[in-house]
Amino acid sequence: MTTIRQVRTARRRSHRVTRLAACAVVLIAACNNFDVQNLNAPTAETLTEAPSREVLARTAIGIQTQALNDRGGIIQQWGIYGREGWNLLGNDPRETGEEIRGPQDPGGRAGGIWTGQYQAIRTLNVYQAALANAKALTPQEVKASLGFAKTIKAWHLHLLAIRSGPTGIPIDVDRPISEPPAPLVSMSDAMAAASALFDEAYADLQGGGSSFPFSFVPGYTGFTTPATFAQFNRALAAKLLVHRATFVNCAACWQQAATAINQSFITTAGLPASLKLGVYFGYTGAAGELSNPVSEAMTSDRYWVHPSIITGAQLRPNGEPDLRLTTKVALADDPRTLNGLTSSYKPVMYNDPVTLAPDLGADIPWITNEELLLLRAEIRWNTGDKPGAISDLNLVRVNAGGLAPTTLTATSSDAAFVDELLYNRLYSLMWTQGTRWIDARRYGRTAQLPLDRTGDVVHPNMLIPSAECDARRLKVPCSIGS
Amino acid sequence: MRRPLSRLAVTGAVLVILLPAASRAQTRTITGTVTIAGTSVPLSGATVSVPGTAATARAGANGEYRLVAPQGSVTLLARAIGYKRITRPLTADQTTADFALEKDPLLLESVVVTGQATTVDRRSATTAVARVSGEELTQVPSPTIENALVGKISGVNLQSNSGAPGGGIQMQIRGNNTILGAFDPLYVVDGVIYANERIAGGRGDITDAAFATAEDDAVNRVADINPADVESIEILKGAAASSIYGSKAANGVVIITTRRGQAGQNSVRLVQRLGAFSPMRTLESRHFTQAEAVAKYGSGVAHWFATDPSPYFNHYDQLYTTSNLSYETVADVAGGTERTRYFIGLTNKHDGGIERNTGFDRQGLRVNVDQDLGSKLGVKVSSVFNRSANDRGWNNNCNNFACNGYAFAYTPSFVDYKARDANGNYLAPDWGINANPMQTTDLAKNHEVTNRFTGGVSTNYDAFNSTRQSLRFVAAGGLDVFHQNNQLWSPNELFYEQTQTLPGTAIQNDGDSKFYNWNLNAIHIIHGSGFGGWSLNTSGGMQYEDRQVEISRTETENLIPGQRHVGQGTNTTGTDSLAQERTFAFYGQEEVRLLDELLLVQAGLRAERSSVDGLVDKYNIFPKISASYRVLGLMGAGSELKPRIAYGETGNLPTFGQKFTQLGTPQLGGLSGFTVAAGSGFAGVEPERVKEVEVGIDGIAMHSRLTWELTGFQRNTTNLLLQRVPAPSTGFSSQVFNGGRIQNRGIEAMLGLTPIQRSNVTWLVQTTFTQYKSEVKDLAGLPPFRPPLSGFGGLGVTFIQEGKPLTQIVGRAFDANGNRTATDVQIGNSAPDYRMGLVNNLTYGPFDLNVVLDYQHGGDIINLTQFLYDDSGLSADYGSAAWTERMKGYNGGVMTPYIEDASFLKLREVSIRTAVPRSWVSRAGLGARTISVGVSGRNLLTWQRYSGLDPEVANVGSAAIRNNLDVAPYPPSRSIFFDFSVGF
Repeated sequence: MTTIRQVRTARRRSHRVTRLAACAVVLIAACNNFDVQNLNAPTAETLTEAPSREVLARTAIGIQTQALNDRGGIIQQWGIYGREGWNLLGNDPRETGEEIRGPQDPGGRAGGIWTGQYQAIRTLNVYQAALANAKALTPQEVKASLGFAKTIKAWHLHLLAIRSGPTGIPIDVDRPISEPPAPLVSMSDAMAAASALFDEAYADLQGGGSSFPFSFVPGYTGFTTPATFAQFNRALAAKLLVHRATFVNCAACWQQAATAINQSFITTAGLPASLKLGVYFGYTGAAGELSNPVSEAMTSDRYWVHPSIITGAQLRPNGEPDLRLTTKVALADDPRTLNGLTSSYKPVMYNDPVTLAPDLGADIPWITNEELLLLRAEIRWNTGDKPGAISDLNLVRVNAGGLAPTTLTATSSDAAFVDELLYNRLYSLMWTQGTRWIDARRYGRTAQLPLDRTGDVVHPNMLIPSAECDARRLKVPCSIGS
Repeated sequence: MRRPLSRLAVTGAVLVILLPAASRAQTRTITGTVTIAGTSVPLSGATVSVPGTAATARAGANGEYRLVAPQGSVTLLARAIGYKRITRPLTADQTTADFALEKDPLLLESVVVTGQATTVDRRSATTAVARVSGEELTQVPSPTIENALVGKISGVNLQSNSGAPGGGIQMQIRGNNTILGAFDPLYVVDGVIYANERIAGGRGDITDAAFATAEDDAVNRVADINPADVESIEILKGAAASSIYGSKAANGVVIITTRRGQAGQNSVRLVQRLGAFSPMRTLESRHFTQAEAVAKYGSGVAHWFATDPSPYFNHYDQLYTTSNLSYETVADVAGGTERTRYFIGLTNKHDGGIERNTGFDRQGLRVNVDQDLGSKLGVKVSSVFNRSANDRGWNNNCNNFACNGYAFAYTPSFVDYKARDANGNYLAPDWGINANPMQTTDLAKNHEVTNRFTGGVSTNYDAFNSTRQSLRFVAAGGLDVFHQNNQLWSPNELFYEQTQTLPGTAIQNDGDSKFYNWNLNAIHIIHGSGFGGWSLNTSGGMQYEDRQVEISRTETENLIPGQRHVGQGTNTTGTDSLAQERTFAFYGQEEVRLLDELLLVQAGLRAERSSVDGLVDKYNIFPKISASYRVLGLMGAGSELKPRIAYGETGNLPTFGQKFTQLGTPQLGGLSGFTVAAGSGFAGVEPERVKEVEVGIDGIAMHSRLTWELTGFQRNTTNLLLQRVPAPSTGFSSQVFNGGRIQNRGIEAMLGLTPIQRSNVTWLVQTTFTQYKSEVKDLAGLPPFRPPLSGFGGLGVTFIQEGKPLTQIVGRAFDANGNRTATDVQIGNSAPDYRMGLVNNLTYGPFDLNVVLDYQHGGDIINLTQFLYDDSGLSADYGSAAWTERMKGYNGGVMTPYIEDASFLKLREVSIRTAVPRSWVSRAGLGARTISVGVSGRNLLTWQRYSGLDPEVANVGSAAIRNNLDVAPYPPSRSIFFDFSVGF
C-alpha cells in the first residue's frame, strides 16, 4: 500500500520533471513559483508557521482589541433587557419591540453577542497554538503569554455562559472549520471550565517572570506585568465564582471566591479615589481606532435612561439623590417619547463632565475596585462574615454614592441584604455590563424589574443564533439537548 | 494526470519526425494572378490551393501566385478573406489559372479560431461563430469597441452602465454563469491577453455611496482599444470554442485582430470627424405655486417667486446640454513589400460630455510590422500605445447630494441652479439639501488618465512543407501594461463639504496592471486520399501567463482651502491591494477531416495549473470535442447545410485571495494587532467549471446570397465559488467553497442576406437573435441568499434561490387582498426575454447607407430615481391618480410600482457616406486618390416603455449579476458626426 507520503513524493518528483522539461525547453518564466503569496494582508500562516516575537506580540494586541468586541451591544441591549435604559431612536422597531416585548429573534438581536466573542476565541486559540512553536520566546515569556491568553479566553467564555444561560454554549471550539461544530455544554459546565482556565492562567502567570513579551493597549494601566495581571485574573475569577454560586448553585464557589478576591487588587486604602482602580476597556477615538461605542451627544435620540433609575435613587443626607446617579445622568432639553415609552434623561457617564459633549475616547470599566468591594460584600454575607459584608457595602455607599451607611444589620434577612446589594450594584455598575439584568437573573428577580407597557417582558437569556443552529442542522431556536 | 499528457506529447513528436520521411509524389507548377472581380486590383494575400493536399500558395504583391501541385488533373481553390471562394478544375496539361474574386459581404470565407495557433474555415466550423469586421465597427464613431458591437452579433448581451462618456459596459456571452467569480469575457488582442479591469476611482468615498466605490461607474479598460485599429473581432461563445483558453474562458473570449499592411498596397488614409453629443431624454419634476412652496419649505423660499409667479426650471436641462465640439482624427499608413509589411495608425479623439465639464479623450499610436526572414520564417510584431482620459462627472447613488441626479430629485423645480447673489456667488441652498449641482460640476474634479502599452511578437516557422504534409512551429508572446490614475477633488467651499466635520476631500487612485503571456505551438497537417480524402491536423503546445494588478488609493480630508493634493489635508488614509496570478498550461488538439473533408471532427485537451487555485501543483483538465458535416447541394447549386455538435468544458478561476485566511490588523492606542479575520479562506479552492453542449445547423443558399446560423446550447456551471456561513462558534462568519450548479439554456440565430448584389448596388441585411434563460439548479445546501452588490435591502435586490433565474429581483409585493406580502417574493428579472439586432447596408454607386437597429424584449428595471422623487414629494405626476397608486407601494414598503419593463428599440447607428467623384478629386489637386464624405449618428432614436431616462443602466456596473438598478445615472446621449476621409 502506498502511503500518502509516497504519493506526495512521487507527485513532487513528477512535477519536478515537468517543470525541468518546461524550463529546458522554454524560458525562465515556467520555472516561476506558483506559491504566490498574499501581500495585501497578513495571512493565518504567519501565525501557524514559526511565528516571530513581533508576530506574537501583535497577536496579543489583537486579542486585547477583540476583548472590546460587542461592548456597545452588551451595554445597550442588556441594558434594555434589564431596564437600565431604552433606545428611542425609532429607526429600528426591534429596539422597543423584540428587545422589550419579544418574541426573541435568534436570527437577529437575540442571536447577537456571539460571533464577536467566538472570533476573539478563535484568535486566542490560534495564538495559544502559535505559542507552542514559539522559539522566539523564553519559556517564562511563553508562560506569561499563556497566562494572559487563558485569562482573556476564560473571561470570554464566562460572558458567553451568562449571555446564553440555559441554552448552553460550545466551548471546545478549537477545531478545524471543516469539522462538525463543537458540542453544546450546560451553563454550569461552561462556567466550571472557565473557572479551571482562570486557575491554569493564574498558575502560568506565577511562572511568567517579570514582564510580558508584548505591549498593552490603553485600559490596563497598573496591570501590565505578570504579577499585576495575575491580580486582574483573580478579580475576574472571583466574579465568575460569585456568578457560579448564584447562577448555578455552586455552594463551594463562595469559599473559592473568598480566596480569589483576596488575591485580587481589592483595596480599602485610598478611597474614594481607589474605587476607580482597575482594568478598563480602553478607547482612543483616534482616526482608524475604536471609539467608545455608547458615548453620544445630548441631542441624540438613541439611548435614554429608564425612569425607574431616576425615581429609585436613594437620597443623600442633604436631600439630593445618590451621587452615582447625578454624575451619570443629565436632563435632556426635551423628553423623548416613542411607542409609549418616555424618558427625560440621557446617560452621560461617557461624556465630558462639564460640556456633556460626547467623549469618543472615554474608557469603560471592565472590573474595578468598586465592583470588587461589592463582590466581597456578597461573598462575605454568604460565607458568614455579615458585619464584613455590611462594612464593604458601606464603603461603596459612602464613598461612591455620598449616602449614609446602610441600616442593614447582621441580623437582617437575606432578602433585605440582596435588596441593598442589588441597589448598590445597579448604581455603581450601570451602563457598563448589563448588571441589572444579570443580577435579576442571578437572584430570580426578573419579575421585579419594572415593566412599562402591557405585554412587555424581561427576557430570561439570549438565544443561540440561527446560523449556529443551521450549521448544526438543528431546528431554530436550538439549545443543549435539542 | 501529467503522465498521459507527456506521453501524448512524445507520441506527437515522434509522429512529426517520422512522417516527413513518407514518400513524395511527382509535382508540377501552376501560376496565375488573383484579382478583385470587376477590377484589375491584385489581391495580395489570396491563397490558391489544391483541396485534399497540402499544396498551397499565396498571391504576392502583384496578385501573382506560383503553386507546386500534384500531377494529373486537379481542382484549384482560390480564396481570400473578405472575398467569395472560387473552385476551378484544371486538366493535367494546364499550367496557368487566373481568378477574379467577388466581395463576400456575408463573411462566408472567414476563418475561425480553434486553438492558440490554429484556425478552421468558417464553412466547416463546429461551433457558432460571431465575427464582426473592422469596417462594420467604424461606420459610426463609437467611444469603445463594445458600443460598436451592439446589434451586430448574436449570443452576446451588451449593456452600458450609464451614459457617461468613455465606456463602462458589461458584455455577457451566453448569460450569467457565476455569482462570486469573474464575469467578464477574456480579451485577446493580437495574441496578447488584454486586461479589462474595472478600477474604481474613489468617487463613492466623496459622495458617500452605499457600496462605496462599487457605484463609481468605473470604465472597463477595453475602452482603451481604438476601434479604428481593428481588422476584425471574433467572439468564442461556447465552452467548446473557448476551452482553448482554459480556466479564464467561462465567460467567453473576445479575440481582436488589428490591421496589418498588405504587400504592394501602399495606402494612406486620413479621416476627420466632427460632431457633438446631445441629451436623449430628461426628467421632469413637480410644479409649485408659491403657496405650495411655502407650505412645504417655509417662507424662506418665497424669493424664488419674486419675479415669476410660476417658476419652473428643468434641472436636467440646466446641467446636461449639447456637448462641446467632439472630434476624431484618424491617420494611417499601410503597405510594404513582399518581405516587409507595415501598418501605422494614429488617432486623436475627443468626445464631449453632455454634463458640464465631462468628456473623454483617446490618443493612440499603433505600429504593426510583418517581416519574412527567408522562405520559412516569419515574424509579426504588434504594438500600440494608448492614452485615454475621461471626466465622468458626478452621478449615480450618493448620500450627500454631491451627485447631480440625486440632488435634482430633492430640489424643487422653482429653484434656479444658475442663480447667483449680488457678488456672483452661488446661492446657499435653501431647498432642504446642502448642495447645488451647478457648483459641484463647476468646482469638483473627477479626472482619470490611463496610459497603456500593448505589444506582442509572433514567430512562424514553416519547418516542412510538401504536397502531402506540413509542419509549422509558432511561438508568440506579449505584454499589456497600463497605469490608470484618478485625481478627485471635492473642494472645501462646496456646500455639501461645508456640512462635514472635515471639509474638503482629495483622492488619488492609482491602478497598475501588468499582464504578460507566451505560448509555443507545433502544428502538423497531413492529407491522404483514402476514405474519399482525409486530413489530420495535430497541434500541441504550452502557454504561460502572468497577471498583476495593484490598486492603491490615498484619500485626505480637511484640505487646506484651495489645495487639491492628497498631501494637503489633515486626515489622510491609504489603501493598497495587489492581486497576482500565474497560469501554466499544456494542450493538445486533433482535427480530423474525412469523407472528402466534409466531415470535421475536433478534439482537444488542455491541462492547466494556476497560482490562485488552492492546490497550485494540480492540473485541471479542460476537454472539448466537436464535429460538423457539410451537406453540399441540397438546396441548389453551391448550397451547403451543416449540422454540428460540440461539447466543451472551460473554467473560471477563483479570485485572488479566496484561498487565504487573512488576519485583521486592528489599531488601538497607536498599537497594531493581528486578529483572525471573520472570513475563512478555502485552502482547496478550485476553478468553477462550465460544461456545455452546443448544437447547430448552419446553411448557405441562393448562390451564397443567403446564410444562416442557428444554435441551441445548454451550459451548466458547476463547482461554483460560493460562500457559506459556518457555525459562528468557529469564529468565522463566512467561508468560500466550491459547489452548486447554475444552468443557462438558450437559442441564438443569425441570418444574413444580400437581396441585391450587382456591380453597382449591394444590399446586405443581417439579423441576429439571442435568447437565454438561467436557473439556479443547486446551491450545495446553502439557504437562498443575496449576492454581493445585489442592490439596496428592501428596494428590490438580486436573490440567489434554487429553481429561480440567477437574475431574479425580489422584494415585497401586494398579495391578492392588497396587503403587503409577509416575505420577499420574485417581483422581476433583470435579464431580457430576448434581444434582436438588424443591420442594413445599402451601397449604390458611390453612396453607402448603413442602419443598425437593436431591440430588447422584456427584462425588468428598478426605478429608484422615481423612488427618490416620490421620497422628496417632487414627482412630476405628484397628486395624480398614477402617483396615488404608486405611493401605496412607497408607503407600504412594496416595490412593485417601481419595477418597470426594460424593453427598448434603439436606432443604434445610421450613416450615409458618399465617395466624391474622381474627376472632382483630381481637380482638387490634393494628390488624393479618393475622398469621401458622410454623416453618421448613434442612438438617434429610442422607443422604450421605461419612464426613466434609459432602460440600459446599472448603478453597480461592477456587480457580477447585473441588477438594472437606476439611481440617478449619467443620462444617455445621442451623437451626430460629419466625416471627411481622404485616401492617398
